[in-house]
Amino acid sequence: MQLPVLRAEIAAMQKSPEIEVRVRGLRRTFREGQREHVVLDGVDLDVARGETVALRGRSGSGKSTFLNLLGGIDRPDAGEISVAGIDLTRLSERERTLFRRERIGFVYQSFNLVPTLTVADNIRLVLELNKLPSADAHARIDELLDAVGLADRASSYPDVLSGGEQQRVAIARALSHRPALLLADEPTGNLDDSTAETVLALLDTLVRKEGGTMIIATHSARVAAFGDRALEMHNGRLE
Amino acid sequence: MIPVTYRANFSYLLRHPWQLALAIVGVAIGVAVIVAVDLANASARKAFLLSMDAVTGEATHQVIGGPRGVDESVYASLRVDAGIRAIAPVVEGNVRVGERSLDLMGIDLFAEQDLREFTGQVDTAEMDDADAESVFRALLTDPTAVTMSRTTANELGLEAGDAFDVIADGRTRPATLFGTFDSDGTSIDNLLIADIATAQAWLGQQGWLSRLDVRIEDGDDAALKKLEDALPAGTRVLTAAGRTRTTAELSKAFMTNLTAMSLLALLVGLFLIYNSVNFSVLQRRGLIGSLRALGMTRRELFTLIMTEAALIGLISATVGVLLGAWLGDRLLALVSLSINDFYFRVNATNVTVSAFSVTKGMLAGVGAALVASAVPALEAMAYEPRLAMARSTLEQHTSRFLPIAAILGIATMAAAVIVLLASGQSLVAGLTAVFMLILGFALCVPLVVGIVSRAIAPATTRAAGTTFGMSVSGIAASLSRTGIAIVALAVAVSATIGVSVMVDSFRGSVSDWLEQSLQADVYTGVERGDMDPTLIADIVALAGVEHYSTSRRAWLEDDESRVQLIAIQMAPGGYAGTEILDADPDRVWPRWEAGDVVLVSEPYAYQNAVAAGDTITLRTRSGDTPFEIGATYQSYDINASAVMLSRATYDRHYDDDGIDSIGLYLADGVDADAFVETIGVLAGDRQLIRASSNVGIRELSLEIFDRTFVITDVLYWLALGVAFIGILGAMLALQLERTRELATLRALGMTPAQIGGMITGQTATIGLFSGIAAVPLGLIMAWVLIEVINRRAFGWQIDMTVAPGILGSAVVFAVGAAMLAGLYPAMRASRVEPAVAMREE
Amino acid sequence: MRYLLSIGLLFAFSAFAQESNNSELADLLGSEDMSGFVRAIEPYEFSFPRDHGPHPEFRNEWWYITGNLDGERDRRFGFELTIFRFSLTPDEPEKDSDWRTNQVYIAHFAVTDADRERFYVAERYSRGALGIAGAEADPFRVWIDDWEITGSGQPERWQLTAADEDFALDLALTALKPPALNGDEGLSQKSDEPGNASYYYTIPRWQSEGTLRLGDDTFTVSGLSWLDREWSSSALASDQKGWDWFALQLSDGSELMYYNIRKDDGSQDRNSSGTWIDANGNYRYLSRDEVTVTVNDYWDSPEGGRYPGAWTVEVQAVGLVVDVEPVIADQELFTTVRYWEGAVDVEGTRNGNRVEGRGYVELTGYAD
Repeated sequence: MQLPVLRAEIAAMQKSPEIEVRVRGLRRTFREGQREHVVLDGVDLDVARGETVALRGRSGSGKSTFLNLLGGIDRPDAGEISVAGIDLTRLSERERTLFRRERIGFVYQSFNLVPTLTVADNIRLVLELNKLPSADAHARIDELLDAVGLADRASSYPDVLSGGEQQRVAIARALSHRPALLLADEPTGNLDDSTAETVLALLDTLVRKEGGTMIIATHSARVAAFGDRALEMHNGRLE
Repeated sequence: MIPVTYRANFSYLLRHPWQLALAIVGVAIGVAVIVAVDLANASARKAFLLSMDAVTGEATHQVIGGPRGVDESVYASLRVDAGIRAIAPVVEGNVRVGERSLDLMGIDLFAEQDLREFTGQVDTAEMDDADAESVFRALLTDPTAVTMSRTTANELGLEAGDAFDVIADGRTRPATLFGTFDSDGTSIDNLLIADIATAQAWLGQQGWLSRLDVRIEDGDDAALKKLEDALPAGTRVLTAAGRTRTTAELSKAFMTNLTAMSLLALLVGLFLIYNSVNFSVLQRRGLIGSLRALGMTRRELFTLIMTEAALIGLISATVGVLLGAWLGDRLLALVSLSINDFYFRVNATNVTVSAFSVTKGMLAGVGAALVASAVPALEAMAYEPRLAMARSTLEQHTSRFLPIAAILGIATMAAAVIVLLASGQSLVAGLTAVFMLILGFALCVPLVVGIVSRAIAPATTRAAGTTFGMSVSGIAASLSRTGIAIVALAVAVSATIGVSVMVDSFRGSVSDWLEQSLQADVYTGVERGDMDPTLIADIVALAGVEHYSTSRRAWLEDDESRVQLIAIQMAPGGYAGTEILDADPDRVWPRWEAGDVVLVSEPYAYQNAVAAGDTITLRTRSGDTPFEIGATYQSYDINASAVMLSRATYDRHYDDDGIDSIGLYLADGVDADAFVETIGVLAGDRQLIRASSNVGIRELSLEIFDRTFVITDVLYWLALGVAFIGILGAMLALQLERTRELATLRALGMTPAQIGGMITGQTATIGLFSGIAAVPLGLIMAWVLIEVINRRAFGWQIDMTVAPGILGSAVVFAVGAAMLAGLYPAMRASRVEPAVAMREE
Repeated sequence: MRYLLSIGLLFAFSAFAQESNNSELADLLGSEDMSGFVRAIEPYEFSFPRDHGPHPEFRNEWWYITGNLDGERDRRFGFELTIFRFSLTPDEPEKDSDWRTNQVYIAHFAVTDADRERFYVAERYSRGALGIAGAEADPFRVWIDDWEITGSGQPERWQLTAADEDFALDLALTALKPPALNGDEGLSQKSDEPGNASYYYTIPRWQSEGTLRLGDDTFTVSGLSWLDREWSSSALASDQKGWDWFALQLSDGSELMYYNIRKDDGSQDRNSSGTWIDANGNYRYLSRDEVTVTVNDYWDSPEGGRYPGAWTVEVQAVGLVVDVEPVIADQELFTTVRYWEGAVDVEGTRNGNRVEGRGYVELTGYAD
């Protein structure tokens, strides 16, 4: 399956084999009453453009926190984060929101589709946020739904879709605005094995093979193996 | 020890204090309004009854007469010729001291015996400083002497021995306060006691008694018969209790309407409780699932939820009762004002909190909480253990229920129509039907809103973007929340539409009527009593007066009712002022002048089910006399049950040559306002009279009209307050439920402002739906209020006019109120952390 | 109300009764109250029927009829009907209402049923206005509500009507004697100060016929009655306590009136006096030295207070020694003012010959 538009985009990215994600000395602590809990303790990471990195680790090891920091949702206590050449630590809240809107795609364990919007509208939402003209958006939605194999469910509401279908919509939504970085948090965590395979295949096709950059947090060995490299998160450090 | 299962639930509520608080506040306001209206009504009524009791004392019966009362020679004859002793004469009238209006009660101390407690008190040690002997001597020998309760004296700033002016019968009379007495409460305050001679002289009632108080031992029919046999024609014996009741009944319709409005507030409050409990149950579906999995039975679960509801109801009701007592105190002033304007003098200064009112309020609060919680509790019983029920499944439940609710609603409305048609003149039945209509309509609203919002969502998405489309489709998708909020707001707004349209139509009719009735250019007269005949002669002799009319209003009482007699001496051209409804005016007026027929007001005709051509009986000088009704005429007078006689007819049948007002028809070019001043100068010290141009009277009348409806305003603002809290609660609940969704949207790149805008858009849409739904319901209510309630309560026929402005502003108001209520939830929603999206349940 | 009436009655009884609270009484009878009223200072030219009528220029006045009656089946009765009149002010007020007046009337009506030992009392009060209560000289009429005394003619023929729930009296009275003037040709001094006196006449013997109703029983009655008429503006001094009054009608056709004024210290006031009327209607003044009253017995009121209960009256000047005994002991009136007024039997000698008779005695100032 070929996606002409997407391919052109990714091809452009590939011309400059730069580092897409650069993390240095990242530290993040949370307060729980009097106690300070160190979640990330000096994380360093470089991810090349087009690379798929799997983050492994037990629950509470700091995977989600790390993803939130990469997505501009959270701010570190210390350290540097640069995504697509943008230094996140220098951005204001509003700038980080706009950064997310334009540069990041999220895929969640529990899909997080907007229940009151149809499948198509869930995708349109992101395109609208990125001010894509509505005719272009329409074409883009068709293209994406086609790509994830849900062209016939465009006007369905999420609640009538299966988990796997919902996650496919979520992937389409996450890629709709051509983000620089796709962040996926346990994308198969709520899915059975065969559905999980479908979803991984989709990510492979739509992201990796198109040269997209992707960081996937997981505790599943299968998903970890899917990455170009797998890193273990342990005691707030990457190993 | 509270079971852990209960603790689990309650701690949930405690961790969502705003939700608990809103439920409590909503119900509390509903309960408060009920209690307040109940207390205000009861207190006004009680104050009136107490004062009547104090004034009536031990009297069991009262002898009443014609327009002027009872000829005093009747009294002398009863004592001397018939040897009847347990009777006491009373001369009553309204007087003013400064700005304060008081009832002057003239009594014959010798006839009082032990009829009245407070007159007995005057001679005991209760008297302050002044010794009773001098007070009594003074009352009998000093024509300026009066006494009053200590409370009243204090309020007037008077002390025993002080001289002051009393304005009675339009004249200033010097008075001296000789001693005061204890009044143990409000019952006999506002009363000026004087010797009967003084009262007659001041009120210009020489020769007449307002009534005779009679004491007849219970069951002593012989004594009653002896009294009746001794009385001349034109007088009647009424039981004191019955007379008090008849007077109190005058305001019954007014009070019933107030009560109905207070119930409206509770009805809106009921939606709120349902909303809160339903929400708290849904919110805890996981917890409930776990409890069920742990082995809690359905019955136990039901009990758990209902206990919680009862507790919320109890707290709400307690808060509501306290709030109601406070509110009632304020409401009482308004209620008293209206009653004083229209019905009878009542001096209720303090709300007396009765156990009955409190109980009613508590029952209403707890009962409402239980009823409203039963549905969600039953729903919760159906939860499968451990099933983490999806939101959409819930909405499916709801949407399956909606058509059933709508069918139920239509059935209720149909039943309401049947009640309306079948209930004759019953006011209570009429109001019940109004509530059934509201309820029935309310049941249909969610279905319609669901269908409409789903239908227009795609269009709005196309037209206004996904964000706003989400606002609209979100309403349909969360009807289990928003539906109730919409209904509550719609009911409240429809009440404002209904009442506004009614008041507006009413005001229009009254205004037209005033314009028509006030044919003369200038009116002048005294509030009560007689105009000085020489003054009348001088006024009508003034240059510029072309014609004049005279009028006399008098009350005719009977066992069951009171009828106002209006004796008119028409001026040429004055006939147009009275709109004849059911006969040919050209034929009626000559017969009326000739004394062949009388006219009855429309309310009289309605209440007594009579029409032109029927015969009514009026008590006259010569006893019960039949009169043929010539026609019915239009009247919006509040004491509207009236019979209009020509002056000549009146004079033939009643010993009363008094005139209380005259209408002056001025020559062209004579300025009415200047003429009013001329009259004032002419009257000077001779008599305090009121004079006003017809424009002035119309304005004054409408001012009083508007003042009457201030109280309705207050009540529907309270209903709106409840609805407002409903929206606030629903939106907060939604926001809580949608946290993850909102976080996702934030993660996807929506700014806080966009989130806030989306929520505000949603509340605005809710307001819009409510406002639109309120329009038909409001119009139906207006129609019922005008055609059924007003007619049944007062007998008025009002032309319904709908000013589009009322409807428009109601919709705008609904949107505004909803948006206002949505502000805080929107603010909270915009603050949702995007990181939440990542967290798993 | 009660207070007012007691004040009113204080005026009435001021001639022969005194409340224990002297200062209160003195206040009431203070000079301020008396100013403007005509006082009884000089002897006065009585004229009838004029003087049967009211004297509103005087502060108080009464029409006082008592009598002893016999009914069928040897039933023995006594009665009292007194109508008091008061002027609250010396001058008539401006008549701005028919009710406006300075005249107040109070009446006491009592009947003694000697055989059943029952005593009936009723009281009325009213302002003298509107025809509810009043007094007129010619034709004579004094009334309150439906109680009235009317009269006319020469000799006097009067009619008395009074009814309460339990008892009623309807009596035709025919005067058997002309009026007798008490004191100094009708000026009856009550205490030392000039003006503390009343004008006082008596018609001591009336043939009386009529009906008396007691409960459901009606009796045809006949007997003798006594009329006292007295008006004054002030009478008592502050040290006077009470009054014993005797009106005795004897079988030889003569009558004795005597009042004994008691002082606070128990002594007899020197203004006590009486009148002796012979069978022909000739009357003479009796000074206190000419009459001796000895108390033989006492009666203790169940409500407290001890009244004299039997007397011996001696008038040497007319050779009279009689024992006076109440027909029943309890003839005490609990009206606004408490006093004893009752029918008595008289038995003794006149100039050595046996004489008997009946009469009325009034005792005031024994109970508070």
